[in-house]
Amino acid sequence: MSKEKINDEDIIIRNYRTSDYQATLEILKELHKLYDIGLREEQWRESSGLRQFKPNLKRITLIAEFKPTGEVVSMGIIEGVKNTLGQYIGYLDNWATKKGFIGKHVGKLLADKAIQILQSWGCESVRINLPYEADNKLLNVFAKVGFQPILTVLEKRF
Amino acid sequence: MSDIFNGTVEKNPHEDLCVVYVLYFDEKKGQIPLLMYPDDRFRNNKRYMRPINFHPVWFLETEELDHIDLEYKGYAFFGKKFHAKSQRPKRRAGLEEDTPETIVIIVSLPVELEIFGDELIKELTEKLRNQFEDQLTEVIESGIASDAVIKTPKIQERIAKGNKIKVFMRELIDKEIRDYFSRVIEKRSESPSLKTQKAISYFSLKGFEFSPLSNLRGEGNFASVELFDSTIQKSEEIRTKSLFSIASINFIENSQEIEITVQNNSDKELKNLHITITHVKEYFEKEVMNQEVEFWFPQEELLFVSPIVPHIDEYLFSIKKGDGRGNIENKLSQRIDLKLINKITS
Repeated sequence: MSKEKINDEDIIIRNYRTSDYQATLEILKELHKLYDIGLREEQWRESSGLRQFKPNLKRITLIAEFKPTGEVVSMGIIEGVKNTLGQYIGYLDNWATKKGFIGKHVGKLLADKAIQILQSWGCESVRINLPYEADNKLLNVFAKVGFQPILTVLEKRF
Repeated sequence: MSDIFNGTVEKNPHEDLCVVYVLYFDEKKGQIPLLMYPDDRFRNNKRYMRPINFHPVWFLETEELDHIDLEYKGYAFFGKKFHAKSQRPKRRAGLEEDTPETIVIIVSLPVELEIFGDELIKELTEKLRNQFEDQLTEVIESGIASDAVIKTPKIQERIAKGNKIKVFMRELIDKEIRDYFSRVIEKRSESPSLKTQKAISYFSLKGFEFSPLSNLRGEGNFASVELFDSTIQKSEEIRTKSLFSIASINFIENSQEIEITVQNNSDKELKNLHITITHVKEYFEKEVMNQEVEFWFPQEELLFVSPIVPHIDEYLFSIKKGDGRGNIENKLSQRIDLKLINKITS
C-alpha cells in the first residue's frame, strides 16, 4: 500500500462489535510488541470492547473500518472517568493502527471522532496515555490538535 | 439437593432439576452406587446417601411393582428395581456366578416437580436397561476391582472398561433428562394443571431459562427446554416483544463484579433507558447499579459491569424505558444467581 492518505469516505468510524474481536486482538498484540502495554490475551475478551457502563465509568472502543475491504484498520478505547477530585476526564487509551495504514490519516479521523464523543459526554478535558519513550514526532502530531504534555505516569508492576 | 442437609457441599446447578442414582446390591457391602448424575462426587458421602439407603425399593422382592416412592425433606425419591444378568463370581455362600445382579435406579426430584417423576423413572429405566443391561455386570466388576490394593494390568483394564461404560451411561441419562423435561413441559403447559403450574413456578424460581424468546444459554439452563409451543417462536408478533436479550452473564472472581451483555434486538435506536441491578436485603430492595443509557443502537450489544455485595448471591437486572412523559415501562427483568452463572477469573 502506498504512503498516500486514505479518503475520509473510505473509512467508517463505528463502535466495536463482538465480530471485531480477532482483528482488534491482532492490533493490540502488535501494539504490545512495540510498547509493552501490559496486554494479557485472556483479558481481552469478545465483550471487552463493547460500549461499557459501570458506576463512574463509561467506555467505548472505536473502530476504523476500511470500507472497500471491510477490514478493521485502527482502534482506540475512550473512557469517561469521574476522578476523586470530581473532575470528569476523558481518556484515549490503546490507540493503535494496523501496520499498512500508519501515517495515512486514519488515526486522526478516529481521534477527532473520539474527542467529539468525549465532549458530548461532558468531559472537562481529554487525556492521552502515550508510551514514555514516544518520539517527538508523535508529540508534535498531538500538539497540532491541542494536546500538551502535563503529567508523567509512573508504574510499578507486581 | 444439598440444601436438604446442613452441610456445605458444593451445588451443581442441575441438582435443582433432578438427581439420578444407579445402584446395585453388593453381596458383601450392601447398597453401592454405580454412578450418580449430575455429580458423582457424593456417592460415598453417607449423609448424602442416607435417603437412598433407606429407600423402600430395596425391600421389594419382585420387579412386578412398577416403582415405589419416598418423600424425604422436600424431595421425592422414585425408585425402580430390576435384575441384570451376571457372570461375576459372588463373594457370598449360596450365590452362583450367574445369580443376577440387583440394580436399583432412583430419581430424586424436588416435591414441586414430583408430577414428572412417574414417567421419568419409567423412561430412564427402560432406556438404561435396553442399552446397558448386559454391560452392568462389567461396571460392577470395575467398581469392585477399583477397591483392590494391588492393581495388575488386567485389573486396570477392567476398571477402565467399566469407567468407559459409565461415561456412556451418564451421557444417556443427561440426554434423556433434557429431552424428557423439554417434551413434558411443552406438552403439559398446553393445559396446565395446578401441579404443572407449581412445577413451572419452581423452574422460574430456580432460574432455569426455557423461553424460546431468550437466547441466554449459560450454565444451568436447558437450551432445548421450551415452556411454550416452539412454533410461536417464529411469530413476528412475539419476536417484536422481545426488545432485549441477554447474551451472557459472567461473574469476574478477581474483581468481584458481574458482567452482563445485553443486545437491543430491535431495528431502531432506543432512547431513555434506565438500567438497574438490585438485590433484596431484609425485605428492602437495594440498588447496586443505576445507569442511564441515552441511546442504544439497533442490534447493538452493551456491557454492564457492576460490583457485587459480599455474601449476596441473588440480584435482579432490569431495563426500564421512559416515554418522555414520566411514564416508565419495564422491558426486561432477569434474575441472576451468582451460583449458577459462568465464572471467570479475570
